[in-house]
Amino acid sequence: MTEIIVVTSGKGGVGKTTSSASMACGLARRGKRVAVIDFDIGLRNLDLIMGCERRVVYDFVNVINGDCTLKQALIKDKRFETLHVLAASQTRDKDALTEEGVRRVLDELTAEQFDYVICDSPAGIEKGAHLAMYFADRAVVVVNPEVSSVRDSDRILGLLASKTHRSANGNGGVKEHLLLTRYNPRRVANGEMMSVEDVKEILGLDVIGVVPESPDVLAASNAGVPVILTEASDAAAAYDDAVGRLLGEELPLRFLEERKRGFFARMFGG
Amino acid sequence: MTTQKAEAAPGPAIDIRFGQVGLIQVLIWTTDPGAILDELTGRVATAPKFFQRTAVSLDLGPLGREPAVAEMQGVLDAVRRAGMCPVGLASGAAAAAALSQPLDLPLLPPFREFHPPAEAADARARREEPRPELAAADVMPALLHQQPVRSGQQVYARGRDLVVAAMVGAGAEVIADGSVHVYGALRGRVIAGARGQSAARVFCQDFHAELVSIAGVFRVFETLPADLAGKPVQAWLDGDALCFGRLGA
Ligand SMILES: Nc1ncnc2c1ncn2[C@@H]1O[C@H](COP(=O)(O)OP(=O)(O)OP(=O)(O)O)[C@@H](O)[C@H]1O
Ligand SMILES: [Mg+2]
Repeated sequence: MTEIIVVTSGKGGVGKTTSSASMACGLARRGKRVAVIDFDIGLRNLDLIMGCERRVVYDFVNVINGDCTLKQALIKDKRFETLHVLAASQTRDKDALTEEGVRRVLDELTAEQFDYVICDSPAGIEKGAHLAMYFADRAVVVVNPEVSSVRDSDRILGLLASKTHRSANGNGGVKEHLLLTRYNPRRVANGEMMSVEDVKEILGLDVIGVVPESPDVLAASNAGVPVILTEASDAAAAYDDAVGRLLGEELPLRFLEERKRGFFARMFGG
Repeated sequence: MTTQKAEAAPGPAIDIRFGQVGLIQVLIWTTDPGAILDELTGRVATAPKFFQRTAVSLDLGPLGREPAVAEMQGVLDAVRRAGMCPVGLASGAAAAAALSQPLDLPLLPPFREFHPPAEAADARARREEPRPELAAADVMPALLHQQPVRSGQQVYARGRDLVVAAMVGAGAEVIADGSVHVYGALRGRVIAGARGQSAARVFCQDFHAELVSIAGVFRVFETLPADLAGKPVQAWLDGDALCFGRLGA
């Protein structure tokens, strides 16, 4: 069975694309067949983070319009055989996505026996975000530990519970997970940021992962390599844990506390 | 024009749905626009978000006379300048029926009928008269809502109590014509007695509400009083005063 997972948030810039790329990679690294789709039409982004921007010939909208086949548009990842990217285009109009078109593409991916389809949602609650979540079986709601992000996530959770194919057809609803990103333990300790417990309590959901704020993320996206592949990185380890939990593994949360740094690290570290 | 052509979809031109929206009632005691504006900007300023572009209905009951059309234009102007949008006149007051046409505002059903203070005592006495027994079929069970009510969502229990067995998020609204009971955290807005039932109450397990309203008397919480925050709380109406107390304390 193909499982369709939307990565969504409401608020912009919280780490949806970063998380979509890393989780898709993490699933493929564990041998799963994965397609990751960029729903952010007009702002091509996922292909850059995946490092395949030079190989985009056809995109999601081309497939929907019938300009090419799905096979022609799917870009094979160079690192993992089972990982495929369906890019968005910068030139198109947002209205190019239609419910019918999205359904057709997802049906075809299901027929192709992909294990997972990851839908990288645009910010907001408009059409693109709606279509990205509409057919989802599961949702990863990306949250930064601050009030406005949490509020927007609550809004998105409301839409997931009422405005999706599963909710409309009484299929038990979309299974929801919280993914906290840009978590900064020092700022949490100072009371400048909300803690994992605060966010969990306000949203009333369990947390599938906590990704610390890390300079590795920017370095990785500049290099076109999803951060989960960075060696000896807390952010990478946190994403890998999240992938494990998505697959049902029980793993304790890590990186919730500031790492104790040795005397020399404090003297010479940045 | 091409745009018009594009809009001419094959389906019906419009759909009509019956819905109920919360409507704020503005009781008019004077037609002096200056006094109204002062009062409104004072109140609106304490909770700017809640009143910007909100639909309001004007109740002329307290005025006790029929104002001239021009006089009412001044009132409407003042209310609009305070940021509200008048959408109707509360029926009931004799003046309202006569003014509805010239002011081009529909008559809306009264919310809680206005009683001048002397009459209010009577009304209370009347309410306490023994009532005939209700048949079992007349009892409307509370509307039970088991899922979280999220920001932007609204749950309304028409003609009965509402029981929410989950949390109510910030920016969410739970409304009942009767009482509202919330067994998760209450972070949103809660409106009990939505059609003027002043005996309605609000009960909650974990109080963080943004707004509490009973029969139209409301309080906005920009900051939560320490003695209520996170506590089991009930709210009720004593006359026109909205009261809050710890549950089980
Ligand atoms: N854990 C992290 N640590 C540091 N920076 C991060 C982290 N996660 C994301 N970022 C940075 O935040 C920015 C936004 O990330 P990203 O593009 O993934 O967000 P998004 O939710 O997809 O944004 P949009 O709403 O625009 O689609 C990027 O500059 C990214 O490098
Ligand atoms: Mg993005």
